[in-house]
Amino acid sequence: MDTLLNVAHGFGVALLPINLLYCFIGVFIGTLVGVLPGIGPISAMSLLLPVTLSGTPESGIIMMAGIYYGSMYGGSTTSILVNIPGEAASVVTCIDGHQMAKQGRAGPALGISAFGSFIAGTFALIALMLVAPRLASIAIAFGPAEYFSLMVLGLVVLTFLTQGSMPKALLMACIGVVLGLIGLDSITAQPRLTFGRMELIDGIGLVPVVMGLFGVAEVLLNTEQALRRDIINAKITQLLPNKEDWQASAGPVARGTLLGFLLGILPGGGAVVASFASYALEKRLSKTPARFGHGAIEGVAGPESANNAAAGGAFIPLMTLGIPPNVVMALLLGAFVIHGLQPGPLLITQNPGLFWGIVASMYIGNVMLLILNLPMIGMWVQLLKLPYNILFPLIILFTILGVYCSSNNVFDVYVMIAFGIIGYFMRKLGYEPAPLVLAFVLGPMLENNLRKSLILSQGDLWTFVQRPISAACLTLALLLLIAPLLPSLRKKRELVALDEGA
Amino acid sequence: MNNDTDTNIKLRLSNSELWGGLIGLGLGGFVTWQALKLKLGTINDPGSGYVLFYTGILMCVFASSIIVSAVTEGGPTLASRWENVRWSKPLLVIACLAAFSFALEPLGFLLSSIPLMLLLLRLIDPVRWTLAIPVAVLVPSGMWWVLKRLLLIQLPSGLFGIG
Repeated sequence: MDTLLNVAHGFGVALLPINLLYCFIGVFIGTLVGVLPGIGPISAMSLLLPVTLSGTPESGIIMMAGIYYGSMYGGSTTSILVNIPGEAASVVTCIDGHQMAKQGRAGPALGISAFGSFIAGTFALIALMLVAPRLASIAIAFGPAEYFSLMVLGLVVLTFLTQGSMPKALLMACIGVVLGLIGLDSITAQPRLTFGRMELIDGIGLVPVVMGLFGVAEVLLNTEQALRRDIINAKITQLLPNKEDWQASAGPVARGTLLGFLLGILPGGGAVVASFASYALEKRLSKTPARFGHGAIEGVAGPESANNAAAGGAFIPLMTLGIPPNVVMALLLGAFVIHGLQPGPLLITQNPGLFWGIVASMYIGNVMLLILNLPMIGMWVQLLKLPYNILFPLIILFTILGVYCSSNNVFDVYVMIAFGIIGYFMRKLGYEPAPLVLAFVLGPMLENNLRKSLILSQGDLWTFVQRPISAACLTLALLLLIAPLLPSLRKKRELVALDEGA
Repeated sequence: MNNDTDTNIKLRLSNSELWGGLIGLGLGGFVTWQALKLKLGTINDPGSGYVLFYTGILMCVFASSIIVSAVTEGGPTLASRWENVRWSKPLLVIACLAAFSFALEPLGFLLSSIPLMLLLLRLIDPVRWTLAIPVAVLVPSGMWWVLKRLLLIQLPSGLFGIG
């Protein structure tokens, strides 16, 4: 009953005209960046992070969340029609989606992708409503040792799942921690790594770092190659899948939804891993696995459901524990912090309007996305023809303005340009920026919780092992660190390791 | 030299993995040294440099592991990382951004962003002049007008006070 009352309260907040507008802007931009290859949700969210300053916390966070799950919908359109993934979570949709389009079945592929996404998104939201308040009530009992260990686990899982060698990902995570610690020490107020620069006293801002590493670096990488597009020009008809399509897709949608949701909750996991895992599962369960890769609708239905369910599930650790499980959620944490809010176990009780408003808006956003992605598919196809030689300079200009407006400080523009250049060379040398950004956000919290637990336990390191949750997290983290040393596990890691940042 | 040996060279200075590891090692050493200059504290009462110090040590460990792997297993050369790509394009964009960062404060937003846009539009994949000039002028001017007049955000106006 309480849940129903809270949901009603949430809809009251989400249905306010201003919040509806922000929700629409969010899902629209999300679909747009999902459709356009080369720009991912991370770039778009970092670009729009300063915009959240102008409205209420609810409006800003509703918009940011809309960009994330909107991009999951939009990404499939490009994968199916152009054979270029709009964002990383749609890579796997290219395999069968584009084959279906080539066989004249682009409509059902787009249709099942949108319906599967809607079903998965709805399930994830219901589960979020049921799981989050219960987990939050448990999380109140968490001490600094548990938080420290959970953050360590989150970072290790992300480095485990990052493309390339694990030492590189771990090195990136360490650099992220160091960058996060620049500025005044929160306990002793001693300046650290500021080199006498006043601009560094408050630390480096999240916005210039992320915009540089993902926005500018992405443009630099994309300019290396002339992007060639093989757009399906035939008129898209019959978007509604037929009875056979539904029969073939029901199982993959259900399994993808469940698998995606569970993988989304895990720290370090996310939509990309979920879509690949779902594809592998469907291929393994299929009686005719040979059809996969040649236009099997199950290969579209499963992964597309999985990535949307994962997007919903990823909100749970952020909302209940205050720990972002991936870079996108780290950006959302940044949006909370900009408004002076701290997500965590007390958020639901202290700010019920905010929490339930965001949840309800996500449901409304899913309905908007269904409308945006099916009847308006023609508009997105036209957008795919937008020339990149005009788009990339515009992105650079918007990143410059976005960074400047977030702080009214030219120094931040320099920081962004510097991180853009660093990010480009990092990626060229095989160093992924995702662990760096997550560690940058978690770094100060990680340090704070470590120091608090050491002070409380009077320097007794056993405190991390004596507490069951902390011990379990550290054991899992240790196992993941050791895993790449074993050849069989290293092979498996390479199979699931993905570019989360794209 | 065939392509295989060119992209998997051991103990060569052109090995990109080696350089990545060396930069990481240098950064780790620098962080450790900076942490030592701060108060490390004790395990009962960790100081400002405590976490930085151990993070610096970890950086050195991971960077050393990258170096060892580069020496024993080899790795792609620096040149191979830019093989078959238009490497000059990102370099040109970087040069434009560097020039922009020097020009932003003295010239102001409008006088620095219009040339930046024009250069980017012509350098990445040349847009015809008849389109590049209007886009380069109208987009920054439009953004400046929205930010300054509608949102009342003060953009840098430079020594000439334009913008």
